[in-house]
Amino acid sequence: MNNLVFGKYIPIDSFMHRLDPRAKLIGLFVMIFAIFLPKSWWAFLAIGVLVLLALISAKIGIRMIVQSFKPMIMMMIFLLVINALTVKTGDILFTYGTFALYSDALYNTLFVIVRLLLMISLTTLLTATTKPLDLTLAIEWLLKPLEIVKFPTYEVALMVSIALRFIPTIIEETIRIMNAQKSRGVDFENGNLSSKISSILSLIVPLFSVAFERAYELADAMEARGYVPGAERTRYHILRFHLRDFFYIFICIAALAFSIFTRIYL
Amino acid sequence: MSLIEVKNVYYAYNENSVAIDDVSFSLEEGTYTTVIGHNGSGKSTLAKMIAGLLEIQKGSITINGLAVNAENIARIRRDLGIVFQNPDNQFIGSTVRDDIAFGLENKLVAVENTERIIEEYAAKVGLSDHLDYEPQNLSGGQKQRVAIAGIMAMKPKIIIFDEATSMLDPKGKKEIKQLMYQLAEEEITVISITHDIEEVMQSDNCIVLNKGKLFMQDKPEKVFADAEKLRKINLDIPFVMQVKEVFRNKKIKLKANDLKGMAEELWRLNSKR
Repeated sequence: MNNLVFGKYIPIDSFMHRLDPRAKLIGLFVMIFAIFLPKSWWAFLAIGVLVLLALISAKIGIRMIVQSFKPMIMMMIFLLVINALTVKTGDILFTYGTFALYSDALYNTLFVIVRLLLMISLTTLLTATTKPLDLTLAIEWLLKPLEIVKFPTYEVALMVSIALRFIPTIIEETIRIMNAQKSRGVDFENGNLSSKISSILSLIVPLFSVAFERAYELADAMEARGYVPGAERTRYHILRFHLRDFFYIFICIAALAFSIFTRIYL
Repeated sequence: MSLIEVKNVYYAYNENSVAIDDVSFSLEEGTYTTVIGHNGSGKSTLAKMIAGLLEIQKGSITINGLAVNAENIARIRRDLGIVFQNPDNQFIGSTVRDDIAFGLENKLVAVENTERIIEEYAAKVGLSDHLDYEPQNLSGGQKQRVAIAGIMAMKPKIIIFDEATSMLDPKGKKEIKQLMYQLAEEEITVISITHDIEEVMQSDNCIVLNKGKLFMQDKPEKVFADAEKLRKINLDIPFVMQVKEVFRNKKIKLKANDLKGMAEELWRLNSKR
């Protein structure tokens, strides 16, 4: 159940792991544009090679990437069916009765699929090589400009990191409550809609009450350790840009430039 | 002047539930005090008032000469830490390292020193090899040790344990108790809210609360010497004290307050006859 929650972090050491999370996040944003702009296969080929290189340098294994594609397969088939039925341009590839499959239907679908696969690979790459906490710090850094309008970036980042830290705890709690309710005869799998709703309620009500209790106790624990909201604190985690981070962002921007180039000239 | 002075404090959650009613006592620096009483006797409320987590409704508490109030609380919290009952709900960081760092960040410890302090205190609680572990990969006892390390790293004078061992298995309990005794030896003032009678016997000082009122405060052997009084409020008497009572009724006076000493005394007694 843990795997479902967040793109899972793989705790190993690699070039991608050592990159500054901010560089990886900026890189991802740049690459999103690089992936969605071009209409030429050359651009996809170039980006595809880059993504592959990044995956290899991250040492996370192709298997995990393929796994992350799995949920998309149904969507891809659906996309193909819709395109086959609606797109009526290009060459006719074959006909079956009144139905004709056009080449553009196939091309359009392939384009979308390639884009999706590249996107999924890149986001999986980010979450697999970056600790949730580091990602939070990177997001906090990106939100920094909002502090001008008194946006509490630090507090929001702390909130997000605490939420992330409690996800496994709450999942554990959910399983425990479900088992407790099952042992009292609550059936979560069978029954009609109304009985299902009432059985879900028997899960949600205690879950919420426990979560609030946890929140109060955590607030006490934080206060007891000297936390004052909004007060100055030193930072244990400090992100530092290295040469490799600039190198990584440079490559991403180069990829974007290339895909803009192919969009205009090819 | 005593390190902690509690004077006529009162706290009520609402009109019908008075948690603490007119309680006064004082605790000396470097002592180990246990607080016992039934659930609902006001033990946790009292701890939270001392830590400044609940507002004192009547009376006053002074710590190191400073009154516990909104104005002084930030200063007082630098000298006082509290370990709570539930190991999960006081783990703030995402790893052991981050959790110990949390208090240091609040205390504005310079970043250059943080790493060294974290390693020092992780070693003190025996978790040097677990610094990058996440809470879900630690046992309850280990999580409590992290909480203790996080508090010790802030170098407080006083640490309050609010039933810190009650959710742990016997092994975890033993480890945490060991750490608590170790703290007491390091001249840290310990206040431990507990149901563990054996721990009470080890302490310097015992406070008994009953229905929000101070029932007794004395050395543990004196508190338990009056077994009848404790039985009236249905509190357990340690085995050693029960044996003493039986012998006292037979007009034989035993001195020892621990099992080993008592065994020694008993076989000597037998050989004298």
